[in-house]
Amino acid sequence: MRNNRAIAVIITFGAIAMLAASADVTLAADKKSGGSRFGDILGGLGTLAGGLMPIGYEEEQSLGQAISLQVVARFGGTLEQPELVRYVNLVGQAVALTSDRPDIPYHFAVLKDDSINAFAAPAGYVFITNGLLKQIHNEAELAAVLGHEIAHVSQKHILEVIQRSKQLAGVSQAGLAAAKQNPQAFKNIIDTAVKKLLDEGLDQEKETEADALGDVFAARVGYDPTAYLALLTRLRTLKGDDPAFFKTHPNFSARIDAVQNSIQSHGLKANGVLLAERFARRS
Amino acid sequence: MHARHPLRLVLLILMIVGGLFSVAWAETVFVQAKTAKLRSGKTSLDKVVADLQYGEALEVVKTEGTWTEVRTRSGVTGWIFASKTTTVKPSGGGDDELAKAGRLFKGKEASDATASAGARGLTEVSGEYAKRSGISQRDRDMVDRMTAYKITDQEVEDFLKKGELGEYAK
Repeated sequence: MRNNRAIAVIITFGAIAMLAASADVTLAADKKSGGSRFGDILGGLGTLAGGLMPIGYEEEQSLGQAISLQVVARFGGTLEQPELVRYVNLVGQAVALTSDRPDIPYHFAVLKDDSINAFAAPAGYVFITNGLLKQIHNEAELAAVLGHEIAHVSQKHILEVIQRSKQLAGVSQAGLAAAKQNPQAFKNIIDTAVKKLLDEGLDQEKETEADALGDVFAARVGYDPTAYLALLTRLRTLKGDDPAFFKTHPNFSARIDAVQNSIQSHGLKANGVLLAERFARRS
Repeated sequence: MHARHPLRLVLLILMIVGGLFSVAWAETVFVQAKTAKLRSGKTSLDKVVADLQYGEALEVVKTEGTWTEVRTRSGVTGWIFASKTTTVKPSGGGDDELAKAGRLFKGKEASDATASAGARGLTEVSGEYAKRSGISQRDRDMVDRMTAYKITDQEVEDFLKKGELGEYAK
């Protein structure tokens, strides 16, 4: 009898503990989203303390367009082939719509340049060079490359650079009013951001994050996540350890390792599609 | 009497606690896509019972393979392709709360600009920047066209269907 009571007490406490644990899980989830928001607000307050307001979408759009103008000018313009433009936009939109920032418009273009590169500007402006396009073998690889650039937009990596550029340019006011009142200050901000983006490159951890997230975005659509590994391996063979190339990105071996780890940690399965034929047709 | 039925008492407590536990445990997921279709079954051929929007909260009923059965806030039950959900509430990609507050604070600058305001071509500010920076008309036109280029969500859906991607995989 005493044993029965002891068992009863243990089971009851066990059940209550499970209930408490479930409450903890819920609380942890709340803390996660709430904490993040709180962190955002703190970050925002820090920005305000520095005399800067956060960048809203309308301002982001002007910044993205200004940077895009410089990208297009520097890389000899965009390819104006209707079928190619449509195809790249379709693949890009498919990835963007299931990205972590699906609620803004995205714009995709192919630069005429034969170097191997891709860029993103704020407000969803994404560029891929014709040179990189030539190295790609299937739609899954293209989706991962565009996913990488979309991740820079969704994580607002370039906007962070611009916030720093504002501080460097001594602009204490954000917003379109400031840009209209002082177009030279706006130009200085853009020039600093373009230099960072095209000549110096983003911080390497941002590139690693974009690699991992971009592959996740492509996998969400249904593309094979290992396609990106195949492309990076091919580029490593092609570019080797060219220091000029790695000025703006981590080396390929490090990127391949990071993407492999991300595929494992996110539980992505290599059962997606490649769509090599559709890529070859570009339609 | 008390000594005779301790296990009944435990069972009763377990039933009460278990009921509370299941309520507390109900998993919530959120739509992680601009739009998503809620279907009557777990294939893309099944009837659409609701159109879901980015960030919408859904209560999980069960998951089978790549599909999750969910219940919407308005009580509609159906299946959603699992890749279009997330367990972490999306924070939104347009203006964050502070940015919105900042725009309101700035008075007349506050506008009803939304994420959909993207397809109008160059803004006044970027147009002015192009002039000051000596950007050629050709390059301006290229960014203008890039900005105005439109692909509808339906066109993307058809593209996914043709490629047998995601929920259209066979």
